[in-house]
Amino acid sequence: MAMLEIENLSAGYGNVQVLRDVSLSVDEGRIVALLGANGAGKTTLLNAIYGLHKPSSGTVVFRGRRIDDMPGDKIIEQGIAYLPEGGRLFPDMSVKENLEMGAYPRGLWRDRKRDLERVYKLLPRLGERKKQLARTMSGGERQMLAMGRCLMSDPKMCFFDELSYGLAPKMAQEVLGMVKELNAGGLSVLLVEQNVRQTLEVADYAYVMENGVIALEGEGRSLLDNEHVKKAYLGL
Amino acid sequence: MTMVLTILINGLVFGSVYALLSMGLSTQYGVARILNIAHGEFIVLASFITWELVTDLGVHPLTAIAAAGAILFVIGFALHRTLFKRVRDISPNAAAFEGDAILVAFGVYFILQNLMRIKWGSQTTGYSFMAYPVSIGGAQFQARSLFVFAFAAVICVLYNLFLSHTRTGKSIRAAAQDPVAARMLGVKINRVMAICFGIGGFLAACAGVLISMNQTFSSVTGLNYTVIAVIVVVLGGLGSIRGSILSGFILGIVGTAVNSYDPSIMLVVFYLIILVLLIVRPKGLLGR
Repeated sequence: MAMLEIENLSAGYGNVQVLRDVSLSVDEGRIVALLGANGAGKTTLLNAIYGLHKPSSGTVVFRGRRIDDMPGDKIIEQGIAYLPEGGRLFPDMSVKENLEMGAYPRGLWRDRKRDLERVYKLLPRLGERKKQLARTMSGGERQMLAMGRCLMSDPKMCFFDELSYGLAPKMAQEVLGMVKELNAGGLSVLLVEQNVRQTLEVADYAYVMENGVIALEGEGRSLLDNEHVKKAYLGL
Repeated sequence: MTMVLTILINGLVFGSVYALLSMGLSTQYGVARILNIAHGEFIVLASFITWELVTDLGVHPLTAIAAAGAILFVIGFALHRTLFKRVRDISPNAAAFEGDAILVAFGVYFILQNLMRIKWGSQTTGYSFMAYPVSIGGAQFQARSLFVFAFAAVICVLYNLFLSHTRTGKSIRAAAQDPVAARMLGVKINRVMAICFGIGGFLAACAGVLISMNQTFSSVTGLNYTVIAVIVVVLGGLGSIRGSILSGFILGIVGTAVNSYDPSIMLVVFYLIILVLLIVRPKGLLGR
C-alpha cells in the first residue's frame, strides 16, 4: 500500500477552482516528482494535503490515517515535513533557532536537543554556524538550513517545493544530490519542481500537472522520452 | 556635573518606563498587526487596581503586579479572541485589517476610559511610596524612582529571556517574522496572536503598577501613555522589541534633558526626532 494516498482532491480560491479531482500516491522509500508550469496548481496541492488550504472535497491518507482534517502540528507529528518554496526561514533567528522551530510541535519539542545533534551530524556546515542569523547566509546555505529545519521532526516523508529554484545550476545539482542521499537513508520524498530534466533524472515516478489536473504520469526516466513532455517542458 | 548626573539618572528612570510602555504595544503589533490605541487605558486601569489594593488592603504595590497582570492578560487575550479575531476574519486583506483594527482599538479606548471615569471619576489620584530622597554622587533622587528603574529593567530583561529561550517566546518571534512559515511548522497562529495580545496587557499592567508608584494619574491620562508608546515604537522600528527598549532609553534621556530646560516642548522635541528619523531611516532604529 502507498505511504501517501491522495484521492479526488479538489480545492480552490473563492469561485476559482485550482485543483480538480487530483489523485496521486507516493510509495514508501521513493522519490516522486510533481511537475508543471507556474500556476498549474502544484503548491496549492501541497498546501491542501498539508491542511494549510482547506480542500473542497477528496481525501488524504498517510500511513493508513486520514490527515486532511488534522491540524498542522499533528500532521508533522505523523511524520510529514514541508519545505516551502524559497525556504521561508526566519530571517532574524539564528541557525539553531530556525532548526528548533522544526521541532515545534509539543510531542517533538522535548527531544529537540537530540534532533539538533542528528541534523548537525547530517549537515555539519550548520553545526559550524549555530549562532549565525539566517538572513546573513547565502542562497545555498539557506536552502541547506531549510532542509535541516525539515529534518528536525525526523520525518518519514518530506515535501520539497522548488528546492532548486533561484540557485546556480551547480548548487541546484548539489541540493538534488542531497535529496537522493536522504532518500537512500530511507526518506520518502514528494518533489515539486519546474526544473523538469534534472528532476526526472532523480525521481522514481512523476506526475505532470496542467491546469489543476494530473495530465500525465509515469516512471521518471520514461517521461523523459515522452513526446508531450519533450515538446512542452524540455523544449525539444 | 551634578546636573548631568541628575538628567542621566532621571533619564534612565523615564527611559525604563518608556521601554516598558512600548514593549507591550510592540508585541501586540508584531504578530497580530494591531496598533492598540487602548494600550494607555490598560496602563491606567492597572494603576487604579494597584491604588485600590494599596490604599484599601495596604499591600505592597509590587504585589499588585500579580493581580493587575493576571487581569490584563485575560482582558487582552479575550479581546483578541472575541473582537479582533472576528474583525480579522471578515477583513478582505491584511492592509484593510490594520486600518479596521485601529478603529476597533479606538472603540475599546473610549469604552475603557469612560468605564474608568464612571468608577473612579476624573480627578488625579496617587499614593505615597518610598517617599524619601537618596543621594548619588551629590545629586538627590527619589528612592521610589530608583526602585521603578530597577524593576522596569528587570522586567525588560526577563521578557527578552522569555522571547529568546522559551518555546512560546520563539513561536512569537517566528510568527512575527513569517506567519505563513510558522503555520507550516505547526504554530497555531490565532492562538499566538491572542497570547501576544494578552502579553501586551500584562506588560501594560507592569507599566501601570510602576507608574502608580512614581507619579499621579487619572482616568484621562491613558492617551498620553499611548502617544509616547507609539513614538517609542516608531522610533525603535515597528515590531522590534529591542528597538523599543533602545529608543525608550534614548527618548527618556532626551526627554529629561529637555524637561529640565522647558517641560512644554518635550513632545515637540519627540516629534522632531521622529520626523528626522523617518526621513533618514524610515523603518526605525532597528526595524527591517
